[in-house]
Amino acid sequence: MSETNSVDATIDSSDGVSRRITRPDGDLGASLKLLSLWHLFGAATCVIGILLARRGGAAELPWMPRFALQGFFSFAFVAHMASAYGVSARTRWARPASLAVNYLVTLVGAAATLHLFNAYRAIGDLGEGLYKAFVPFLVICVGLIWVLVAGQLLANRPTAVGPNNLRKAGWGLAALAGVWFVIKADPSGLISSFGDSITRSLTMGALALTICSALATRLMWSRAAAQHFGTKASTEQALSGLAFLSPNLIGFLVFFAFPLLFSLWVSFFDWDTTNTHRDFIGLGNYVKALSLDFSSAPQANAGTEALKPGYQVLMNMDWFGQHWLIGARDIEFWLSLRNITVFLVLAVPLAVLPALLLSSVLTSRLPGMKIFRTIYFIPSVAGVIGVAIVWGQMFDATIGWINYLLDLVGLSEAGAGQGWLTERSTALLAMVIVFAWMSFGFNTVLYLAGHQGIPKELYEAAEIDGANPWQIFRKITVPQLRNTTFYVVITTSILALQLFDIVWILARPAPGGPNNATRTPVLTLYQEAFTNNRQGYASALAWVLFIIIFGFTSFQFRRQRDVATSGGLS
Amino acid sequence: MSVVSFSSVSKQYKGDGPLAVDALDLTIEDGEFMVLVGPSGCGKSTALRMIAGLEEITGGELRIGERVVNDVPPGDRDIAMVFQNYALYPHMTVRANIGFALEVAKVPKAEIKSRTEDAAEMLGLTEYLDRLPKALSGGQRQRVAMGRAIVRSPQVFLMDEPLSNLDAKLRVQMRSEIIHIQKRLGTTMVYVTHDQIEAMTMGHRVAVMRKGLLQQVAAPQDLYHRPANLFVAAFIGSPAMNLVTAAVGGSAERPTVTFAEHTLAIDHGAIERYPKLPDRIGSTVILGLRPEHFVMEGDADLPDDQKLTLNVDLAEAMGAEVHIHAHLDVPPVELDGAPVAAEEGEEELSTSTTNIIARVEGIHTVREDEDVRLAVKTHLAHFFDPATGDPLR
Amino acid sequence: MSVRRKGPRATAVRVLTYTILVAVAAIVVFPFVVAVATSTKNSQDIFNYPPTLIPREAQTVPAADVGLEGDSIPLYAFADTDAEFALVDNNVSVAEFRPLDDLERVIRLDVSSGERTGETVTIDGEEEDVFLIEVDGAQLEVYRSRLTSGGLFVDVADPSDARVDLVNLVEPLEQFGPRLENFREVVVEKDLGRSLTNTILVTIIVVAGQIITSIFGGYAFARIDFKGRDRLFLLYLGSVMVPFVVLIIPLFQLMLQFGWLDNLAALIIPFTFTAYGTFLMRQFFVAIPKEIEEAALLDNASRSTILWKIMVPLARPAIATLSTFGFLYAWNSFFWPLVIINSGNPDGRVLSLTLSTLGGRGSADLNLVFAGAVIAMTPPILVFLFAQRYFVENSASSGLK
Ligand SMILES: Nc1ncnc2c1ncn2[C@@H]1O[C@H](COP(=O)(O)OP(=O)(O)OP(=O)(O)O)[C@@H](O)[C@H]1O
Ligand SMILES: [Mg+2]
Repeated sequence: MSETNSVDATIDSSDGVSRRITRPDGDLGASLKLLSLWHLFGAATCVIGILLARRGGAAELPWMPRFALQGFFSFAFVAHMASAYGVSARTRWARPASLAVNYLVTLVGAAATLHLFNAYRAIGDLGEGLYKAFVPFLVICVGLIWVLVAGQLLANRPTAVGPNNLRKAGWGLAALAGVWFVIKADPSGLISSFGDSITRSLTMGALALTICSALATRLMWSRAAAQHFGTKASTEQALSGLAFLSPNLIGFLVFFAFPLLFSLWVSFFDWDTTNTHRDFIGLGNYVKALSLDFSSAPQANAGTEALKPGYQVLMNMDWFGQHWLIGARDIEFWLSLRNITVFLVLAVPLAVLPALLLSSVLTSRLPGMKIFRTIYFIPSVAGVIGVAIVWGQMFDATIGWINYLLDLVGLSEAGAGQGWLTERSTALLAMVIVFAWMSFGFNTVLYLAGHQGIPKELYEAAEIDGANPWQIFRKITVPQLRNTTFYVVITTSILALQLFDIVWILARPAPGGPNNATRTPVLTLYQEAFTNNRQGYASALAWVLFIIIFGFTSFQFRRQRDVATSGGLS
Repeated sequence: MSVVSFSSVSKQYKGDGPLAVDALDLTIEDGEFMVLVGPSGCGKSTALRMIAGLEEITGGELRIGERVVNDVPPGDRDIAMVFQNYALYPHMTVRANIGFALEVAKVPKAEIKSRTEDAAEMLGLTEYLDRLPKALSGGQRQRVAMGRAIVRSPQVFLMDEPLSNLDAKLRVQMRSEIIHIQKRLGTTMVYVTHDQIEAMTMGHRVAVMRKGLLQQVAAPQDLYHRPANLFVAAFIGSPAMNLVTAAVGGSAERPTVTFAEHTLAIDHGAIERYPKLPDRIGSTVILGLRPEHFVMEGDADLPDDQKLTLNVDLAEAMGAEVHIHAHLDVPPVELDGAPVAAEEGEEELSTSTTNIIARVEGIHTVREDEDVRLAVKTHLAHFFDPATGDPLR
Repeated sequence: MSVRRKGPRATAVRVLTYTILVAVAAIVVFPFVVAVATSTKNSQDIFNYPPTLIPREAQTVPAADVGLEGDSIPLYAFADTDAEFALVDNNVSVAEFRPLDDLERVIRLDVSSGERTGETVTIDGEEEDVFLIEVDGAQLEVYRSRLTSGGLFVDVADPSDARVDLVNLVEPLEQFGPRLENFREVVVEKDLGRSLTNTILVTIIVVAGQIITSIFGGYAFARIDFKGRDRLFLLYLGSVMVPFVVLIIPLFQLMLQFGWLDNLAALIIPFTFTAYGTFLMRQFFVAIPKEIEEAALLDNASRSTILWKIMVPLARPAIATLSTFGFLYAWNSFFWPLVIINSGNPDGRVLSLTLSTLGGRGSADLNLVFAGAVIAMTPPILVFLFAQRYFVENSASSGLK
């Protein structure tokens, strides 16, 4: 209210609908003059910024931030100049323009200032502080949980004195522990490095720029300014919408949209990790990854010599009395594709069929079903590394449980243990078992949701017709769950295609082994990118993989989008 | 307290869609209780929400007091609104619900407390102040919504069908409470309803809308007795006015109207109210007779040419009065291509007969399938042009 | 599937149902039981075959009980008696004798025992002296096949009964003995502690960041209409289908250029934005009646007041779901830390990473590795158990219907 009272709105009836002239009181008028000046000044700093990014600091700045900063400053320069004009001429678009540039400069300035203060790297120090002050940290947690519990009590009796005091006590405990935490964590190093950086002129400049832009943003954001510039309600709405979305949107652009496009771009280059070597080779990476050679060989078990140079034997086959040889240029990638196909064919049914059966059992009204549901879900939340370590031990050839249990039921000779993970024939199978064990519980829950959609009358009718449980399952449950099955199979396949962690742990110390039997596409990609430093080529592999996965996803996406947007969109 | 004035205000939801409110011109005086009525979808809520600032105005100008508020955000308009579903904040106690606006306005705590308690006192909510909305009955929730509105002493109250979720008895009680509060506070009130009785009993003036267009603004009695057009005539009144297309005959002194097999003489009193009626001798008009314009033959001293005989389809004895349902074998009167009565949602059973309702003294025993002879107070009848629906004034 | 309520057939179906369910539950639970059991074993116990689920330790008696000085002394049992024997000396000379009439039998005695008869026999082409020893009161003709070192065992109850034998041939007496120091050892000595606090830090900040950005974004998508908003939302939805592997390399480059390699910042900042969480919050906000918000607008509440005082308190279940998802994701993530925290900076490692490097197959520290695995798996399981109401519901409805 106070803000609107300071601006006395009168109406110019000659063109009253489109435009309102307001008589600003002295306060806002003066601030707006200052604002125009600030925009001019801001434009000047942008020029300095461009120059700094090009020359002065160029030695320190890697190319990505350099280009980004130059682009940003150029944009800011134009926007500042336009706003300087718009604000003094009081045009309607001046407010959005000025808000946009000031807000963005505030954000970028804040990010840069934090960088100059070494704040991002200080997160590592915070990790150390937490280690040193772990006990106070636990006490803080206890205090906060206490507050939460008291809050729950308060939700039912909002004015009860007891819970209120309890809550206060919780806050007190947390605060005390907070002080203890700070003492234990010893932030003196942090403070002194902070002191060091604040004295640098670049840091001070960035800080000042950030603060001024923030103040300008605040001024322009006010309702008084909205009235002054005659901002329409719909524009106001759009502005606040974008403001609320901005933290998310910036993250989305910087950490999703840009990397996605960048990855595509990189895939056309021969490029290593440290950027010392970069050649545009067009589709070369893709050609290399996908090249296959077929040849009919004179005799069985023909070797590389029957293939084009640079190719290695992928498969050796006998068809119609003729020996065929398939060779690939990137033998590892093709092997990994072959492995993942086998994996998919085995793992998906094993992760889906038990889920289908179990979910049908779990929908019965018998007691204890919720407990079983919970138990089955646990493997999918326990964390793949821990799980893989445990299974690695279970599969151990000499002291592992699998061999022992097989022995108990008389399936294997004691002592002559099967080396599940060390033999080519069984290594992938072991991974299939772990994967299915981890994912069937989650799928069961998905199926349980699917069961909710089956009309109860169908079952009642079938029971009246005297169908037995198996017939009911076959003739009603399975067909009715077709959509769910589709979804479950697709999501499980997508997960399986990206198999990495299980292989990494179970095949230690040589991931992909034995003898490439468990090499997966993601593993190949990882090794190309970070062991062989061929990031351009690895990006091409990533896109090939993406396209394969996309094939699976696009089936599902349409339906999922329909569900997702049903909540009021469109 | 403030005047709210619409000057040719329009609202179009979609760029190419129909106008939900079409060039509305309406001034609600300071301290006035204005009721907006009309059939479902006529744009009442839209008009109200434009006052609140919850819908953007796509044409024209809206003022509250002296200020044009087209682009003023809702919070700056100093108005309070009560929603049909109350829209209480579910996680806040009654006290917090009522005090929320004051808290937002940074009113000192002590003042919030006293004002909240005053409002609660006025509404009889004192003992529920520390409950959550889910622990209240429908009527109590409604009161909390009211309390939330009055605690701020706004310039204008807006209410959108606030009583429609209550049961009949509670509705009557709340109705008088709202009238009482409005009188006491003297705040301008805009009240949307589609309940006839609410409209007639509560409003200083009533605005009738149809398909986004304002039909008539008048005091309830005027609306009833001097409808501005066929639509208002058909819409206001319960049971609704009987409308039938009739041929005008007779002399200018004592015209007659003929419909189905009946002929009625028109008393001179009607010609004073509808001077243009004699011009229509030899052509047709739409005759409007309210149910109470019928009396049993012996109950009133009316000449024989103002009587007719009807076969009773259904007789509803309601104690003080009896509603006699009968039908005429003529097609019902149409308004823009649809039977008039259909608009209120009543199913017209047939398109070839017109239903007639007569309201007579409760002492009579009327049986179905019997013939009754009724006298008609034709001096009170209404007449409209069949082509335009305008009254023959 | 509905199960009929009465009759012997129904009972049979019920029994079958529970049998299946329990069997599957056993398969699910067994590896966790193995994990907990192994994590409390001592470093000998882990190599025992057959493997057991109960951690065992050697039974001992105080040294004083057998008249010695020093630490406690392990107990052993011989097959022919119930008495408990203490291993008082594990390095005595032992002579192995074989009876001449049964060359497969081995009798181990102190070197000093046995009397030479002076005769010799030829065994496998070697000439051997013949001894006379007393076994169970009977005299036996034997030859001495070998001299070796073994242990001296004394009956605890009757110190006069002493025997010598090879230590690994006597069955050690064991008892239930969980070794809880494993946990302390792995945390302190294997640097898992630092990784643990790093993981906690990363998880807390990621979850908090995700909640904040998702609340803002979800609210804007649900309630603040502006041009192009719905198309942008579709883009967000589409982003969920892009597998993370495609982003790994460019994100790595980005972190490299920001100078965040080997730093926790790289594990945190890119993950404080989540399209899925934004979607989740939007769906929840959309379902809150619009009038509640309009009432607040009329009360002159600003958008942010509405968001924090009205929408967020109402959205607690959605926030709980989001936190659970975020927690599990951040706590369990492995691939990205593997890529980013790669140049041997142990201070930047997170739990999953340290665990993966702790020991490979057949590592000697298997009990410690398992203790680490248990530490890593417990928090997510606990969080899941507490939050499962939200979690299960939302996993199920995330893409279905
Ligand atoms: N958000 C909207 N988008 C598009 N059209 C709308 C919207 N809200 C209302 N309308 C349309 O505008 C017209 C007027 O609606 P309004 O809600 O004002 O009617 P009403 O008189 O309040 O009816 P009721 O008595 O049923 O509440 C209707 O035709 C309706 O379909
Ligand atoms: Mg309405």
